[in-house]
Parts: sequence; C-alpha cells; structure tokens
Amino acid sequence: MSAAVLLALAAALAAPEWEIDLDARLVESNGQQSITNGGLGTLRFDDSQSGLRLGRARFALAQTFGQVWSLHLDASAWGDHDRNPVDLTEAYLQFRPYPFGGGYRFRLRTGAFYAPISLENRSAGWESPYTLSYSAINTWLGQELRTIGAEGQIDWLGTRAGSAFDVAFTGGVFGWNDPAGVVLANRGFSLGDRQTTLFGQVGAPRSTPLPPKQLFREIDHRAGFYAGLEGRYYDRIVIRALRYDNRGDPAAYDAASNTFAWDTHFNSIGLRAQSGTGWTAIAQYLDGETAIAPGSLYLSWPFRARFALLSRELGRHRISLRYDSFTVDSESKYGGGPQHGHAWTAAYVFEPDTHWRLTLEWLRVTNDNQDRPFYVGLSPAATETQVQLGVRFALGPAAR
Amino acid sequence: MKGMQLLRGVASGFFILFGLLASAAGWGATLVVAVHTANGKPLAGAVVTLRSPGGADHPGVPVNAVMDQINRTFVPDLLVIPVGSSVAFPNSDSVSHQIYSFSPAHRFQLPLYRGKPYPPVNFDQPGLITLGCNIHDSMLAYVLVTDAPYFGRTDATGTWSVDVPRGTYKINVWQPRMEETLQKELTIEGERSDLTLRLTHALKPAPLEGRHSWDAY
Repeated sequence: MSAAVLLALAAALAAPEWEIDLDARLVESNGQQSITNGGLGTLRFDDSQSGLRLGRARFALAQTFGQVWSLHLDASAWGDHDRNPVDLTEAYLQFRPYPFGGGYRFRLRTGAFYAPISLENRSAGWESPYTLSYSAINTWLGQELRTIGAEGQIDWLGTRAGSAFDVAFTGGVFGWNDPAGVVLANRGFSLGDRQTTLFGQVGAPRSTPLPPKQLFREIDHRAGFYAGLEGRYYDRIVIRALRYDNRGDPAAYDAASNTFAWDTHFNSIGLRAQSGTGWTAIAQYLDGETAIAPGSLYLSWPFRARFALLSRELGRHRISLRYDSFTVDSESKYGGGPQHGHAWTAAYVFEPDTHWRLTLEWLRVTNDNQDRPFYVGLSPAATETQVQLGVRFALGPAAR
Repeated sequence: MKGMQLLRGVASGFFILFGLLASAAGWGATLVVAVHTANGKPLAGAVVTLRSPGGADHPGVPVNAVMDQINRTFVPDLLVIPVGSSVAFPNSDSVSHQIYSFSPAHRFQLPLYRGKPYPPVNFDQPGLITLGCNIHDSMLAYVLVTDAPYFGRTDATGTWSVDVPRGTYKINVWQPRMEETLQKELTIEGERSDLTLRLTHALKPAPLEGRHSWDAY
C-alpha cells in the first residue's frame, strides 16, 4: 500500500517533458510586401526580408499531474516585432483517462489549442514534417483560428480490440476568436509557417489592407462550436471531417479594436495515406464563408482551398511536393476583393539525428488579388518565389 | 502461485524429458512447419502451437520475459509466453508511457512512468493481450499467453521445427497480421513430418516504423 502511495507521488511529481527548438533560415525571396510589412504578399518573407532570418525559437512544456491530467504550454518567438517578443501558440489542460471496457476512451481539453483539422501539421509545435511552409489551408488555420474553450473527444480504439479501424468523434465549444475571417477577407490566403500567438497580432502599423488586429478576442458574446469525425484504417489511412461555425454576429462591432465579429463557418475534409515503403499522400479540402454586416450592409466572402501533397521518405531523407489552389470570392466595393491563386512547393528534408533537421524548400505562388490595384496600386496578378534553407536544432526529452 | 508455477515447471520438465526419451527410443519425431502467405512467400514470425486433441497437455515452463519501450515503440512488439509467465515492461525512452490492456484475457494498467518502477506483470490466463500506450496511440504490441506444450515462431524462411513424441496434434498458426485462424490436425508417424500451411487471405498491413509516428496533433 505504502509503495503504491510512493509510486503515485513520484508520478505526480514527475519531471516535466520539455523541448527547445531553434530554427534559423537563409531566405531568398522576390515576394511582395509580406503581412508583417503591411502589404498583400502571399509569402511569409518578402524581398526585403531575404537573408538570415529567425524561423522560430520554441519552448514547449508538458507537465503531468497525477495520472490523467496534464498541462501543455507552447511558447515561440518569431523575430518579427510582434506585440510580445515571446508568446504562446497553445496553452491547455488535458484530461485523458484510461480506455474503459470495449476500447472506448474519453478525452477533454480546455484552454487554447488547435482544432483537429490539419493532416499536415502533425509534428510538435503544430509544424509540418514535410515542408517549412504550410499549405494555404493550414497557413490560414494557424494565422486566424484557435480553440479557446473546451473540446471533448470520444475514441473507439478498435485496433486494440481486433478491428482494422479506430474512430473518434470530437466536439468543441469556444469563444474569443470572433475576428477570425478578417485576414482572409482583407488579404486572402497565403503560404507560410507564422502561427499567430495568443496575445500577439496580425497586420502591420500604417497598413491599409490590414492594420494590426488581435484575433483572440470576444466581441459578440456568442459561443462557437465545431464537430468532427476521424477514422483510421490501421496506421495507414486517416480521414478527418469537421464542421466549424464560430456563430459570429456579423453586426457586432468592437469600436476599441475596430473589429467586427466575423461570422465564419466552413466544412473541411482531409485524407492522409501512408505506405509501408515510405510514401505519404495528403489531400485536404476546405469550403466556407465569412461575413460582416456593417450598418445596413451584408458583406460576405465565400472561400475554398485545397491541396495535395506527395512525399517520399528514404532513410533520413524526405522529399515532398505539394500543389495548392485557393479562392476567395467577393463582390465588395470597399476593399477585400476576390483572390484566386495556386502554388507549388517542393522540399527536401534531411534529419541526421533527433537533434538536427535541415530543409531546403522552394515555393512559387501565383495569384490574382483585386486588392492590389485597390490598396497598393499594383497589378492584380503576381507570381512570387521564395527559397529557404532551414536549419533546426532541437533539445530536450520530448525532442525527436 | 509460486507453488503452482513450480508444479507446472516440474510437470513440464518431465514431459520434455519424456519427449526426449521417446525420441531416443524411436517414438519421437521432428515436425517441420512451414507457413506461406497467400501469394506464396514465407511468413516470418508466425506463432505455431501444438496441442493434443484430448487437451490433457502440460503447458510450457513459465518464463520471465521483457518487453521494452524504445523510440515510442514496444520492443519486441510480440511475445509468446507459457501461461503463468511474467513480463517486465521497462521504459527506455526519455518520455513517459502509460501502458494499458483491455483484452479480456488480462486487463491491466501501468500508470505513467519512465525507467522500471513496476514489478513484472503476471499472466495467469491463456489468451491474446493487446497492449497500447494511452499517451502515444501509435504504440501497439501483443502478448500471446499459451497453454500449449509446444510452441514457437517461424524464422525468416517461414519455418519452425520441433521434436515431439509421435502422435496426433492440433496445430494452430497465428500472427497479428493474419486475417484468418489456421488450424490443422496432423498425425505424426515417421521420424520426420513436414507440414506446409498456406494462408488464403492477404495479410493486414504491417505497422509503420516508429519514425513515422508523429502523433502530436
């Protein structure tokens, strides 16, 4: 008995699992003014940001309390003059009891975290193991969305009970994400890996298309929700589908921050398949709409995006190719015009050990954005190319 | 418990001794079992068990086995042990694991741990136990607890051989990737008996290697 108590105490006081990542980039870009410089460029780094850059400096911590509770913190610095030099991307408390009879398990998370949508951002820190820059869909999710609330998930662990399948239902209830949609409407989709931090901002001072905005705010005092389904066939195929609706009141407006409660809802579906010979294929599709209702107007921006990624792993080497296409429709005469575009991304990743990762990525994005003539006096069409050499060093028991 | 194990051990010892004597006296035989997949390739790692049809067998001698956890995978990912054996589950990773089984043959949990804080787990009931880690869902392993007097696993050429007294046996073949249960009754009369079993269904996919198991999101 006393041994059991001592064991429980030892587990309760277990040292936290932590990880430190340092990711430096050598960038060559001919991109138009990026979001951090207030323009309508579609890449993370524009031509003035070529050279040696900080990709991300990250510190993550997971601390267990007893057997079923754990606290997860993920803090990052991005080196681009955000409100806080270091800020959180995720912070949540998780309740994860053991599976009970028949292989069912219930999980609960509360705090700030990513909804289970992306099939690409599967590494620690919500990074992609395939490319430095995320697809247009997942760049947008990292830019504008975070669940600040609670999420429950019921798993059926079928592969532990002789079945070929695992199934999970997820439901989330959240607030403090009412401005989500403003970036899509005012700038459109982009491709990068800059995740918006919980107390940080998007946009830039003196930027006409997107002045600085804090995205994690409550404006209309209405909770949003999402409901998702995940199915797995062994560890080979994963399918995720999710309905998201922030139930924003498009007429609600916060004068202090000059921000509407954007009414954003979408459906997303994705598939990831892996072979035993090192091939991975991922496809994701997103279809939704965001809207505001200033005065007597009702302005809406339907949006759609998809990508397909093919990756081949050979030992410590991985080569990936991705095609993105994205569209934002708009009939607005007040800025926030339509955007249509596509992108090709090719990346080579070399991981000599669990500490080091080297990535060479080439990304070319072509898009037609009617905001360019409206806001910055440029032709609507633009083709931008960015080449990055990334060197990442990871340290800590959780690094792998 | 200990007395029971000892008794079983002694009984099995006699049984094996009897087998050896029988073999020397010309009552023994060598059985060679070859297992092939549906497309004719040798199936390595398949578990073969031999029982008397009457079921009056003595199980094998209990052992103390080890299943480690390295790079967020169980090593090995399949153990075959006689009923009454114990398995230690050390964790060699720098992160904690939380092991569970909800298989009817033996439900148990090892609360969050690193290193080797727990005594070995005893397996007193025959059956298949599927193991998972509650933190890392990609971790999957099996412990097959058998009461068969003779058992083993096929090698890289898909074969396993055993010396047994001549007689009639029920032969079972199982592997985690098999869709079917293979069973065959065989009477061994000569000095050597060869049995080739071929699966009729394709194998389930093999688990992906540990390096693929990013499951942070």
